[in-house]
Amino acid sequence: MSLLQDSGFDAVPGHRRAAVRRRWMARALEQLSKSFAYLVLASVVIYVVGFTLWTMWISVTESTLLPNYGYVGFKHYQRLLQARVWQVAYVNLAIYGTSFIALTGVVGMILAILIDQKIRAENVLRTIYLYPMALSFVITGTVWAWILNPSIGVQHLARTLGWVNFRFDWLIDRDMAIYTVVIAAVWQASGFAMALFLAGLRSLDNDLYKAAQIDGASASRMYVRILVPAIWPIVIAVLIILLQVALKTYDLVRALTAGGPGIATTLPANVVYDYMFQRGSMGAGSAAAVMLLASLLIVILPYAAIQKIRSRKRVDHG
Amino acid sequence: MDRTLSAGYLGRRFVLYAVLVAFAAFFLIPLAVVVINSFRTLEEITQTSVLGIPRAMRWDNWAQAWGSYCLAGSCTGIRPYMWNSVALVVPATIISTLFGAMNGYLLSLWRFKGSNFIFGVVTFGVFLPAQMKLVPWAITLRELSLSNGLSGLILIHVVQGMCFTTLFCRNYYVNVPADLIKAAKVDGADFLQIFCRIVLPLSPPILIVTVIWQFTNIWNEFLYAITFSEGSHRPVTAALMAFSANIAQAREYGIESAAVLLAALPTLLVYLFGGKYFLRGLTAGAVK
Amino acid sequence: MISRTAVAAATFSLLATVAYAEPRVSAISQWSAGAEGAAMNAFGELVGNAGAKWEHNAVSGFTTDMMNKLRADIIAGRPPAVSQLKGPEIRAWSAIAPTVNLNSLVAEAGYEKLVSADLAKIHKPNGNWIALPLQVYRANTLYASKKALDKIGATALPKTWDEFNAMSKKLAEAGITPIAHGGLGWADTALFDVVLAGMSPAAYKKAIEQLDDKTLRGPEVLGAFTQLRQMSKWMNPANAGQHWSVFLPALMKGEYGLLIMGGWASGVMKRGQFEEGKDFLCGSTPNNSDKPMFDLNADGLIFWDTKNPDYAEGQKITAKVAMGKEFAKTFTQINGSLPVRSDIDLSDAAYQDCQRDAAKNLSGAIAANQVVMSLGHNMAQTSAVTASLRDVITEFLHNDSITPEVAQKRLADAADSAR
Repeated sequence: MSLLQDSGFDAVPGHRRAAVRRRWMARALEQLSKSFAYLVLASVVIYVVGFTLWTMWISVTESTLLPNYGYVGFKHYQRLLQARVWQVAYVNLAIYGTSFIALTGVVGMILAILIDQKIRAENVLRTIYLYPMALSFVITGTVWAWILNPSIGVQHLARTLGWVNFRFDWLIDRDMAIYTVVIAAVWQASGFAMALFLAGLRSLDNDLYKAAQIDGASASRMYVRILVPAIWPIVIAVLIILLQVALKTYDLVRALTAGGPGIATTLPANVVYDYMFQRGSMGAGSAAAVMLLASLLIVILPYAAIQKIRSRKRVDHG
Repeated sequence: MDRTLSAGYLGRRFVLYAVLVAFAAFFLIPLAVVVINSFRTLEEITQTSVLGIPRAMRWDNWAQAWGSYCLAGSCTGIRPYMWNSVALVVPATIISTLFGAMNGYLLSLWRFKGSNFIFGVVTFGVFLPAQMKLVPWAITLRELSLSNGLSGLILIHVVQGMCFTTLFCRNYYVNVPADLIKAAKVDGADFLQIFCRIVLPLSPPILIVTVIWQFTNIWNEFLYAITFSEGSHRPVTAALMAFSANIAQAREYGIESAAVLLAALPTLLVYLFGGKYFLRGLTAGAVK
Repeated sequence: MISRTAVAAATFSLLATVAYAEPRVSAISQWSAGAEGAAMNAFGELVGNAGAKWEHNAVSGFTTDMMNKLRADIIAGRPPAVSQLKGPEIRAWSAIAPTVNLNSLVAEAGYEKLVSADLAKIHKPNGNWIALPLQVYRANTLYASKKALDKIGATALPKTWDEFNAMSKKLAEAGITPIAHGGLGWADTALFDVVLAGMSPAAYKKAIEQLDDKTLRGPEVLGAFTQLRQMSKWMNPANAGQHWSVFLPALMKGEYGLLIMGGWASGVMKRGQFEEGKDFLCGSTPNNSDKPMFDLNADGLIFWDTKNPDYAEGQKITAKVAMGKEFAKTFTQINGSLPVRSDIDLSDAAYQDCQRDAAKNLSGAIAANQVVMSLGHNMAQTSAVTASLRDVITEFLHNDSITPEVAQKRLADAADSAR
């Protein structure tokens, strides 16, 4: 009953005309649904491109409390690059970003591998590891601030229990405070990484496991040499998701350390917010946001290029 | 799978469980702290500290947090704000998930010129920091006359959410065999029919993933919730800020803990019940 | 023949419909909970009783969140009728959206002569009244733990910075942490205000209010940094990034000795069941000059031009209420602040001794022209300038390796680039 079979308008009235009408309506519906789909997609693209371009434009204007379209060149960029708080924020991002992503990945992988070992109560354990992702960063930051505070948290508890010289005051230590942010963030995201890795491991062919065992590889070797590399695409995907979390981290710092002590744990997203809204300097804030995104592209573009090369390879191989 | 009951094997299993339990403790302790605090009296918390075993139980922190604590001018607890959050999150999640599926379908199975580039742009949208988009959204909402009420917030979360949902769905759909689509086209099925009859039925795993992801993120979001809503229309995250944002006030830690738990309950439940499906959805190749 | 009463009745009802704008007022503030929320509710009641419908949209969050809401509303073209705003921000925001000229209302109430000149200036940034002050706080209040003082045998608060240092040394020797300090950015900066203004109010005015470069690089500012460095050694380093109220119990128990905070702290202490005289002493921070100094923090209400006759009527009513005696009493009693009007009698039992002491401090400082605007509380400069100065001060306070000389240079440079 191919639609292609009908042709022409034979002078057979009634159901034939109805069929034609049906065809016309079907085609109209298809056109409509297609247009709608393209429209929706276009709206997302317009949103991404539009907002980014607008922000870039504002970053070269003298906008303060409200957007103001007077051009001032790259003044904001220059000032920002010289500002201590921006430099500190970037160093913090580098430290926090790499530590957080690496640690979350490792913890997530360890948990996934451990759970993959036919555990009883897997459901319970998995839920326990996964639930932190359901919480907002504000809650996470607040509670961890309580726990890590030396005078009321872990250090205090340890000391009252007898270890009088126990020290765990990273939260207020200028050099170590950034690692408390790492701890809280890793706590929140490891379960998510675990879930993805576990899913990847479970989707692997059983033959792979069997082959590895026949080879006589010990469990750890099997994982390290064979299985983890086999789920490499998932590892990359996890890293990407963690990367965007790291770059956008703002609430966690605000709730955990308020950027302190001093400015020791400020991250670029905090600086964007601070300049844009607290200091009433939208131009500078936008410049900060643009620089943050630019530094992201430096990390992303190589990955995208590798993907393109790989997909081209896939196409070539059929 | 050798299963000899050797000492070595048992020893390894013991270590395995020990490590797992240790991790479980690490993950559970913050929750335990909040739960315990929700049953303590304020005097006790301020007199001793934020971490501690309750000496006297206080049962009405929960009741107060839910129904009577005075927040932001009205003494209704967080109950009304919870409903606002629901009214915001449910439509936004459903719409952004559906649109994400549609976009993913378009980008992966109806390849057009530049579809990969477009996908790259959509993915880039995932990285835009929220602070940067605040003012452009204010302007956009003004132009669309949506500055008041939840509809503006729903729009914001739908559009922003689409970047994520499209990312998830498109990466899932690329694994749908192209032959399946080709055969359907030969049979005369059109755009809408292929979507409804072939793609959607294959989608539940990834749709569950996107629903869980969107639900959690939109429910927990607070910057836009504070800025684009007011009074009794506020989502619960905006109301929670009232507990901590006071320089002249001693914090009601006990009630705050109860309120935080109540506000987190929906997302926790979603993860509790959906966690299994979350995993299944990912197993089906969601994030390749 | 139509009766005269009928004509009269018709005229009246016609006039009534024409003149009938239903007075309403919408307000945005960050005072969503606790005493501040209660005070706003009381304000709302007074406005309601005066005939306008009061809609208070309390933005739960920090000041910036409230300002974001204000900004979003302004962008949307729907500014609230009134909103909370203070200090130089009033001038900055008045430039981006139209405001209402309150001159006639202020003149009618004879209000201007009841308000200190420094305060009035802030609320009429371009010469016309566009905002009204709501309450005044003394940011340079010194609290001392009675138990801690008893332990070292002291009975009175230190009057000069030398006495302060001597007492702190004694406290440290007795095993008490001399200074309770939370370590949030604004608190660090407010501490700097108090120290500098306590050493030389004139230098403070030149350096901080006018950003005079020479004074910024001068000996008084260096002295303030040196004193601040000394004080940082008397603080508990574990307290970085904390809210000051966290240490109240410990302060009252005698584990800490002294707290420098604004007058609102006594309200918190009162609610925590702590009593002045029994648990703590309250007074002005050390002041090296022989005349009183007052570090001022005041909240204000800005009136936006909404182009809506209902709101315009409501604003008139609100302004009258805000300038009135009853509002002054109710609002400040709930908040623990000082009334703006200089003719309010504070001997009422609802006021605390601490407030009375602050009020005396204020009038003395006005007479001696030593009222300074608090930098830490955003009264001296716009948020952009305050933030750059704050970055320097807060980093200095929490980083021992930064010397006072280096900090002074950084502060002056920050003022330069922010100027």
